Amino acid sequence: MSQDKSTAMLGGKAKKPKKYKKPSGEIKTPFSWREFRKQWFLMLCSAIFVAYGVLFYYVPILGWAMAFQNYKPKTGIFGSKFVFLDKFVFLFSDDTFINVLRNTLAMGVLNLVTTFIAAIVFAILLNEVKSTLGKKSVQTISYLPHFLSWIIVTGILHDALSNSGIVNELLMTFKIIDSPINFFAHKSFFWPIVAFSNVWKETGWNAIIYLAAITSIDPCLYEAASIDGAGRFNKMWYITLPSLKPTIMILLLMNVGNVLNAGFEVQYLLGNGLIKSVSDTIDIYVLTWGVSQGDYSLGTAAGIFKSAVSIILIFIANYAAKKMGEERLF
Amino acid sequence: MIKQSSSAFDKVGDKIFVVCNTIFMILFCVITLYPVLNTVALSLNDGTDAVRGGIYLWPRIWSLKNYATVLGKETIVTAAIVTVARTIIGTLLALFTNALLAFVVSRKKFLFKSQLSLFWVLTMYINGGLIPVLLLYKNLGLTSSFWVYVIPGMISAFNMLVIRTFMQGIPDSLEESAQLDGAGYFTIFVRIISPLCMPVYATVALFVAVYQWNSWFDAMLYNRMNTEYTTLQYELMKLLSSVMQQGGNANQIGDAASNTVTPTTVRAAATVATMAPIIALYPFLQRYFVTGLTIGGVKE
Amino acid sequence: MKFKKVAALMMAAVMVASFAAACGKGEDAPVASGNEVVEDSEGGNAEPSEYPEDEIIDFTMFAAMPGSEINEGNEIQEIIAKKTGVRVKETWLTGQTAAEAVGTIIAGGDLPDFIDGGDGMMQLYENDCLVAWDEYIEKYPNIKEMYTDAEWEMFRQEDGHIYWANVFQNSYGENRATGHNDEAFWIQVKVLEWDNYPKIETMDQYFDLLERYYAANPTMEDGTEHIPYTILCEDWRYFCLENAGQFLAGYPNDGSVIVNKQTLKIEDYNTSDTTYKYFKKLNEEYQKGMIDKEFATQTYDEYIAKLSTGRVLGMVDQWWDFAFTVNDVFKQQGLDLKGANYVPLGLTIEPGMENRWHTYGDTVNNSSGVGVTTSCEDPDRAFQFLNDVLDQEIHDLRFWGVEGVDYLIDEEGLYYRTEEMRTKAADDAYQASHLCTYSYLPQWGGTSKDGKNAMQPQEQKSEFFVGLADPLKKCFEAYGADSYPDMIGSVVEENAVWFPMYSHSNAMTTDTPGGVAWTKMGEVKHEWLPKVVMDKDFDKTWDAYMVKYNECKPEDFLAEMQTELERRIAMAEEAAK
Repeated sequence: MSQDKSTAMLGGKAKKPKKYKKPSGEIKTPFSWREFRKQWFLMLCSAIFVAYGVLFYYVPILGWAMAFQNYKPKTGIFGSKFVFLDKFVFLFSDDTFINVLRNTLAMGVLNLVTTFIAAIVFAILLNEVKSTLGKKSVQTISYLPHFLSWIIVTGILHDALSNSGIVNELLMTFKIIDSPINFFAHKSFFWPIVAFSNVWKETGWNAIIYLAAITSIDPCLYEAASIDGAGRFNKMWYITLPSLKPTIMILLLMNVGNVLNAGFEVQYLLGNGLIKSVSDTIDIYVLTWGVSQGDYSLGTAAGIFKSAVSIILIFIANYAAKKMGEERLF
Repeated sequence: MIKQSSSAFDKVGDKIFVVCNTIFMILFCVITLYPVLNTVALSLNDGTDAVRGGIYLWPRIWSLKNYATVLGKETIVTAAIVTVARTIIGTLLALFTNALLAFVVSRKKFLFKSQLSLFWVLTMYINGGLIPVLLLYKNLGLTSSFWVYVIPGMISAFNMLVIRTFMQGIPDSLEESAQLDGAGYFTIFVRIISPLCMPVYATVALFVAVYQWNSWFDAMLYNRMNTEYTTLQYELMKLLSSVMQQGGNANQIGDAASNTVTPTTVRAAATVATMAPIIALYPFLQRYFVTGLTIGGVKE
Repeated sequence: MKFKKVAALMMAAVMVASFAAACGKGEDAPVASGNEVVEDSEGGNAEPSEYPEDEIIDFTMFAAMPGSEINEGNEIQEIIAKKTGVRVKETWLTGQTAAEAVGTIIAGGDLPDFIDGGDGMMQLYENDCLVAWDEYIEKYPNIKEMYTDAEWEMFRQEDGHIYWANVFQNSYGENRATGHNDEAFWIQVKVLEWDNYPKIETMDQYFDLLERYYAANPTMEDGTEHIPYTILCEDWRYFCLENAGQFLAGYPNDGSVIVNKQTLKIEDYNTSDTTYKYFKKLNEEYQKGMIDKEFATQTYDEYIAKLSTGRVLGMVDQWWDFAFTVNDVFKQQGLDLKGANYVPLGLTIEPGMENRWHTYGDTVNNSSGVGVTTSCEDPDRAFQFLNDVLDQEIHDLRFWGVEGVDYLIDEEGLYYRTEEMRTKAADDAYQASHLCTYSYLPQWGGTSKDGKNAMQPQEQKSEFFVGLADPLKKCFEAYGADSYPDMIGSVVEENAVWFPMYSHSNAMTTDTPGGVAWTKMGEVKHEWLPKVVMDKDFDKTWDAYMVKYNECKPEDFLAEMQTELERRIAMAEEAAK
């Protein structure tokens, strides 16, 4: 069949082999009761899934009412005093919050880009390792750090970057610097350090999805490309990467919505008073002002703000993907 | 011919690439293996001695006391059973439901595929907060039970979308020909689509299993007083926070904090002890990641 | 291929084994309770007042503090259960703050029978989760005895009832504190010994000594370089940098403010002259290279590791924050014999001033304590148990253990422990299976009701001196000190009625302008104080810091503290009538 492009590819010489259908070319099935009845199984499943989703994800949203109240556990959501937008005004009128927002965004974007690229590059390169044993061992080793808690990872990082740590020692041996750098005392190092620690801990783990996707690439594609004289780089560039594109797009879209979740633990564990102005994130802010002060409402307000930003970003990204004819979330 | 020369060039390039790639992979392994080995070394070192720092890849004073502390808790057996149970049941349930949902929204003809996707995508970014969720579970009778571990988090939009993406890559022709043969959607899901999705199922199973294995916050929140539903990670968290003088109120903490144990080595032992079983799962799942196995069956 | 099969088999084996264990456990359960019958028959006949197993009530307790759970069937817990008819299953704080944990417990509605909510105590009261103590205080003499009438008044809430009692820092009879569990400028014994135990009264003398010692001994015997002085300022532990100003000015640890006794006004130590001088001195020493270059970025673990090598000569800290871990390492490495142990000094900013680094007497912290919740089905029995655990016999069981096993009694009736008993008592496995202190239930410090022994072993004089290394003993002798507090030489006086003011600032929330200011002040200090110490131009940085500090509106905070101070004074006057 013509739809099976892998077969078509065998003889073809197209530069960009695409195994997957372009989603933009879809025809939307128009609504009709006949079609509805035909899809009764899908409808039944959807109904159950929607009921489940409403119950477990949407019902708790009622708790957002807390953001507009001075919530106290005693009076509960229905009895607490309404303060309307006070909590939001408090958030946005505070210089610190704006600063914290900047940090969160900066680290969020930096983390997104670095971890994303690292995982894809790693997956593709690992796929080029021909020895099965080598491949499997590297894969197994690479995802181990995912199981270490941040407190362990940051502890080791702190050691490595301390004045007598290995990084300073290497730099001194190679005469790049004369005296040790106190990495954690300089504001400019902090964001890269956080990004690095994320890459370090999660690259192998994040690559699993891509490795799974790579396994579904038809080997015939590579054979055909070889016959055509494509080298290794061409194959990576024209076969592996395009085959990963749907997965990459979906993960990218999902993660775009998460840039404000730049984290809490890493910054909390690596930060210190001197670099507070670049290390504090929204989550740390909420901890300082909300949780530890018993102010549930403030935390909720910050949560709503984060959700709103995420959803806006998602809609923009999804719209852009649609315009470009790429894979999209909905 | 051009072709000839380019392949000759490629062969040299190929060699260089292989060498570079191998070196890169080795470096990568060294760098990722180091924290793990460091943790193992710490876990086997005497606790008091470890306080001085300076332990890298080999213990300075060998000791199994950390493991005795971690595994010597009497609740550990119950916790292990509950954890294994929630990992197995939770993974199977989540896999089935996420796959089914992904199947529904990946059907090209499905009338509400966009709406249903959006409905689930939004769940990733909204969160009612700790207390509303707690109240909900309480009213549903989920608290103080085992089911609170596997029912609420069963469907996750992330896992669903990962599966969906994979399913969308499967040619429609398969579904169409099966429909011509009179197969219903459920049959198509079970017989046609699922066998092709093994790599992605393995991936999602791994994600869910690891999540289930490592969870402890839910055990604390919903089964704080019920020791029969405690989980491994919760027991270890309890142990860790008891050996650490945790933050909070500096002025009050002094009163009872007179028996401190060094947390670093116990933490390391706890990490190794919980990591080992779940890591053993991976080679088992890796067999679904063999290149070229699946699509071979798609060719018509 | 083979490996896969082996892995699969192993997985299967593990699972089968764990399920088998599960079944085994299920069958074991009744046997475990049968065990107690056996124990019963052992000592049951001798003691007719013992409760049989089926009459023993099981209560639950949550303490919003991290702690170690004890095993089911813990030996002393069982003995206490037989004597009192009550067994309490304790649960501790894990991975949450106290306020969060209490908040979720209230929302979830599954309250334990006993609770110590820590910072979340007020939440429990506001949500009507606690049973009033008033009638039980009258009914049970041991409970009533815990506090004087005036002290009980401090626990009274706005609705006129008492809902909890703090269980710590409460001495029966003579106070026997041998330790200084609080803050001080600490210095290694070897430094004092080197200079023939000089009298050190001020910060200037302190740093002068460190400088001279460091110049003469730049490294330790093994060649490790000395660090003359370090400052921990990680997260909440930055008190090591932050609050010395109040002590140097001769005030006690009110925590967040100082109270002028003459005018009865709240004063801010952050902006005081003394604090300015303190930081100026630190800055000066930092520029001289006397202070650890990495102090501002070190983590707690790194700090402890540094201290443990014995290379740090001095620092400000609270005893409980470093001593237990560090002293263990010193002992293991033999550093205690080389004079690495720390002793506290009661420094003031000028010579000849009184100091109050050590607080004699008890500090009544009314902001938290143990309470009985409304979920408790038999509150009378619960209070009876709180009464029973204060009986000397039970109290000895809790803190000293079983006679003949955990401690011995000499001819004079004094309790003592052998080295072996001490080691065992410190072992966590033994603690879990044998010892049961019920550490967050009512208890006494000070002198036992027999008038000879200490209520708790660590306060027994013999226990104290046995543990000291020689250099430490010599130092104590040289200064004529019998204990750590003697080294400091603080003024012995009764605590003021408002003491400690931190119990109020700790409970502040962002609902009030004062609470907002308090949080902001903390944030600013956290960021600026390390800079103040490190920057070359001290005065310029100090001024910049002061501008930022004043932007936080500290006056809002101070005003609220003043109101609280006046409320406390009025309450005390009321109670005295």
